[in-house]
Amino acid sequence: MPGKALSLRLETSASDIVEIAALRGRARELERVALGRGVQLPALGRALAATDHLALCVRPERWLILTPPAAAGASAAVWQAVCAGLGAALDLSSGLNALELTGSVAREVLVRSCRIDLDPDAFPVGAACATIMVQVPVILVALASGVLLLTPASTARHFHEWLMSSAKTFGFMPPSHLNGAAVSDDQLS
Amino acid sequence: MLRIRCPWCGERDETEFRYRGDASQSRPAADAGLAAFSAYVYERKNPRGWHLEWWLHVGGCRRLLKLVRHTLTHEIRVVGTAQDQPSLPQEPGR
Amino acid sequence: MQGPGRIAHGLLTDAERPLGFRFDGQPMQGLAGDTLASALLANGTRLVARSFKYHRPRGIVTAGPEEPCALVDVIGASGREPNHLATTLMLYEGLVAESQNRWPSLGFDLMALNDRFARFLPAGFYYKTFMAPGWAWERLYEPLIRNAAGLGRLKAIVGEHAAPAETVHDHADVLVVGAGVAGLTAAHRLGASGLRVVLADQDAVLGGGSLLDARWTAWRETTCAALVGLGTVRCLSRTTVLGAYGHGVFAALQSLAGADAASSGALRERLRIIRARRVLFATGALERLIAFPGNDLPGVMLAGAALGYLRRYGVAVGRRPAFFLNTDQAYETVFALASAGIERAGVIDVRTSSLAAERARGLGIEVHAGAVVEAVAGRGGVATVRVANRDGSQRREFEADSLLMSGGYCPTTALASQLGAVLKWQEAIAAFTPELLPTVGRVAGAARGVFGLAAAARNGEAAARVIAAELGHPALAAGLGLELPVDANATPIGALWEVRAGGKAFVDLQNDVTAADVRLAQREGYEHVEHMKRYTTHGMASDQGRIGGLVGSAVLAQARGLALSEVGQPKPRPYAQPVPFAALAGGEVRQHLKPKRRGPLHDWHEAAGATFVATGLWMRPLVYSQQSGWEAVLREARAVRRSVGITDVSTLGKIDVQGPDAAKFLDFIYANTFSTLAVGRSRYGIMLREDGMLLDDGTTSRLAQQHFVVTTTTANAAVVLEHMEFHLQAVCPQFDVLLTDVGDQWAQFAVAGPRSREVVAAVVADLDLSSQAFPFMAASAATIAGVAGRLFRISFSGELAYELAVPARHALQAWLALLEAGRPFGIEPYGLDALNTLRIEKGHVTAAELNGNTSAEDLGFQRMPKQHGDFIGRALSQRGGLTAPDRLQLVGVRPVDRARRLRNGAQLVAPKARTTSLGYVTSSTPSVELAGWVGLALLAGGRQRTGERLIASSPIHDEATEIEIVSPHMLDPENLRVRA
Repeated sequence: MPGKALSLRLETSASDIVEIAALRGRARELERVALGRGVQLPALGRALAATDHLALCVRPERWLILTPPAAAGASAAVWQAVCAGLGAALDLSSGLNALELTGSVAREVLVRSCRIDLDPDAFPVGAACATIMVQVPVILVALASGVLLLTPASTARHFHEWLMSSAKTFGFMPPSHLNGAAVSDDQLS
Repeated sequence: MLRIRCPWCGERDETEFRYRGDASQSRPAADAGLAAFSAYVYERKNPRGWHLEWWLHVGGCRRLLKLVRHTLTHEIRVVGTAQDQPSLPQEPGR
Repeated sequence: MQGPGRIAHGLLTDAERPLGFRFDGQPMQGLAGDTLASALLANGTRLVARSFKYHRPRGIVTAGPEEPCALVDVIGASGREPNHLATTLMLYEGLVAESQNRWPSLGFDLMALNDRFARFLPAGFYYKTFMAPGWAWERLYEPLIRNAAGLGRLKAIVGEHAAPAETVHDHADVLVVGAGVAGLTAAHRLGASGLRVVLADQDAVLGGGSLLDARWTAWRETTCAALVGLGTVRCLSRTTVLGAYGHGVFAALQSLAGADAASSGALRERLRIIRARRVLFATGALERLIAFPGNDLPGVMLAGAALGYLRRYGVAVGRRPAFFLNTDQAYETVFALASAGIERAGVIDVRTSSLAAERARGLGIEVHAGAVVEAVAGRGGVATVRVANRDGSQRREFEADSLLMSGGYCPTTALASQLGAVLKWQEAIAAFTPELLPTVGRVAGAARGVFGLAAAARNGEAAARVIAAELGHPALAAGLGLELPVDANATPIGALWEVRAGGKAFVDLQNDVTAADVRLAQREGYEHVEHMKRYTTHGMASDQGRIGGLVGSAVLAQARGLALSEVGQPKPRPYAQPVPFAALAGGEVRQHLKPKRRGPLHDWHEAAGATFVATGLWMRPLVYSQQSGWEAVLREARAVRRSVGITDVSTLGKIDVQGPDAAKFLDFIYANTFSTLAVGRSRYGIMLREDGMLLDDGTTSRLAQQHFVVTTTTANAAVVLEHMEFHLQAVCPQFDVLLTDVGDQWAQFAVAGPRSREVVAAVVADLDLSSQAFPFMAASAATIAGVAGRLFRISFSGELAYELAVPARHALQAWLALLEAGRPFGIEPYGLDALNTLRIEKGHVTAAELNGNTSAEDLGFQRMPKQHGDFIGRALSQRGGLTAPDRLQLVGVRPVDRARRLRNGAQLVAPKARTTSLGYVTSSTPSVELAGWVGLALLAGGRQRTGERLIASSPIHDEATEIEIVSPHMLDPENLRVRA
């Protein structure tokens, strides 16, 4: 890629993550009540960003909702009330780590272990999927700014080190320390 | 390498899935007796040809899939959900 | 100085950029763009290697990756790497290469004695000779053979200094393999039609055969430029497709830089995994050798290779070449060398007449029609050629310094064969062509037996058209409208495989297999082509015998009296060329080799001086000390027994189970009952496999009527989740249940010991922890150090104990608060070793006992399985074999002499029958509460043997310890402490 300016940024972002899952036959109802709370639940394989949240779906009738961090379990408690009788809402804020890879070569870095087709035509902005990378589960979400990566907390360091090592091919220098930053609006858009 | 077209996730590498055995076996009723359960757990046909299989998509949607796969050519004819009841093709695999 | 062989301007070489290199210590010069082979030929070097078995002198035979002879060691910053092909190794400044299989030097090779004794080294020699006595193989034969054989010598630098490598995953609509005229045409038309194309070619430049014909230069340059401009075609040069794995998956090795790149830390090669909906093999055809006596002498080369060296590098491979050929196509080399002003020794054409021969005679070139080469001779290289008519008449001999042979062209079938292609015999070209299933892809150009560049271009376009239509693009984009140079008319091939005239005629130059070896294999019963291959090792070397593969089959066919089409070819397997292991490993090496799972308190444990142990992928604190020995372990365990300790059990699997049928589902999954569990209570449960064996154990708590949280052992967390998911979806889909892995979400700590209540009470403000309000096996939501969490009164240690769960993000906050609250009581953090000490004393089991071979009854859980209702494993656990009284059962063991130790794995034997194992020790530890060591063991009929004395025998430690059998519940069997 001579002549093309390379840029790459790897950030960990702290956000509350709630998984909501519909009981049998209750998915449409769950979608309706979520919409009533201002959250449109996306179709399978898609993510929908709004100003104050990101909702994504990589498992049938299950959604992950990312919001700026609040008190422990507070977001989940809200959704537990919403889901009552229709499904389950679980706090996964601690179970998943969110990383964001941005820049012109973000996808080039990811194809070094991601077996999913990340071509912008095949995985456009708004697409989401769950897969395995470097032997650990990863959820990928294509955002306008880059790719959001959710990975289990216990293997997050392993995955992070891998990304930094893969990115070295592109001249990426690991930062001396990692910034914990909230998911901001511009990252979600 | 098998590529399995998951009805939920799209086409994925075999490495994302866990093979869970012969899907033509169904669990006997609780009172079916020792012989029935023994057959359920141990007796397999090992066909040269079309085979009904369970594959759990652990690296993706975590749904259980039912595949019709040819043991010789590896052709995958059907990838269905756990409750689908596909019939095995009569013709040989390609 | 460019060397005496450099006679013209080469397409790839840059005369302005000389490069210095060394071969066998000799300093030489080549040009940028050269391969090592072209540079050696330019320098007039003919002898480059000794052969594998007979150590015969060998020269360069080909100009590509099919090279059987010119293998060299490259000495560089990353060590000594063997088996580089001189014909593909790009020259670089300072390259140091050495020849292989010679000792002590290339010119004087002692091992060449093998050649004199060749009649003692027939095919199958090793199988026949080194049979007996058995011991001699290891001690005598193998070391001798290994010293004499082998390709090259490896001395690699490993670890941090090893060359980096990486894997890249590609996706395409169509993979086009081969960028000759057919491949370029097809890739362009497919890409222009909007399909995503990956075009891979092993050569450093795209063009294939068109690189050797100046009439095609404009076409090639225009087409390549157009391809790059499309944006839909990824052109990968120096990329060899190594294997075809079905379902559209291919592996390819992309070479990025010379072997010297390791010193700069740059990537040398990249493994590409390509997934494509269709493949187009436009892999061309390989020229094949003719088996005639002396066909391995340096100076004998494929005619097409000589043309390649002339066109690509401006190098003449000889000053007076002779030609031995049987097709009009091979005359291209004759004409090219003639117009370059090279003197010819003559053309030996197998056929009695041909269009090309007429044209050659018109140019004043002598053609010996209807003739064959019976032998070549010379010391260290070709000096004379002996020719005779095909019937053996009119023998004559003339001088030549090289012999350029061509036995015809074999379409490359290897990759297509891996995808199940049917090979069809084509009499017109005397070769097989592959036929692929349309759903897999197509074959085009010379790979399909379509010879001639213009014909290949048209064939490539036709293939592109059908593939595009199949992929939903019925209107193929227009071509570039370039005029195709006209293919010359050609007289058909005069097939010839072997000239039998006495002397070694090789069919495989790398493994030193002769036509006579093939016949010997046939005589000895190895008639099938796959058997012949293995018996003679024909085609089993790193070049896969590509230039002689069909010749070997032809010799076999003749010996069997069958048509070649009936004998066929051995099936080639991946890899198509040698691949460095580093490239296969890619980047998943060293710290990336396998994931490490770290708990939320990992850094705290590390700072506290913990020694870690890997359990599965998890890193767990073993003991908070860097010292070996039991002292620290016993200090930690003693704190729990006497006062209070705290341990991190975050690695336990945790599964959230919710839904209207959650209780019914758990009743089915577990052998015991959970539907009767009250909200706010925990229960220990055991889970069986359907075959009746124990799968896992753990506590399950009911948080709400339709909400449970299951804990699993650390080792089985993923297995249990899959087990539950499978059964929920396959066996009881009628249940409305949601399963969620919350293992990483929750940090969990056990606070254990007589003072644990006081410690926990200090951090949990909102619960009354008295035994009346919060009894043994109670479970509740709780605010822990200000964080919303969960509290369980469960015990693995056998002491009064609590487990506290908080979201992992807040783990440190809660952990530090507990340590602070425990300070007045001397709280000790304890690791896995102390945990083990405590549970062994108590008789609790872990993976050492839940080993996949034990039943519920074996471990003393015989009263746990429910009497009514179905559950997984119920039927088969009632088999006689699983309930037999003499099965291995869990017992406790203690040395009679309290001063002696126990060993895990020690066999339990009767004092008078010490070679009959009655069982074995599964776990052992020095005890805190009891004198000396205690252990758990699995013992035949163990529950009936309490009080017996046996021997724990550990021959590898030379130990035999008298032990007594006790109840596994060695401490507090009435369970009073946990209820305190």
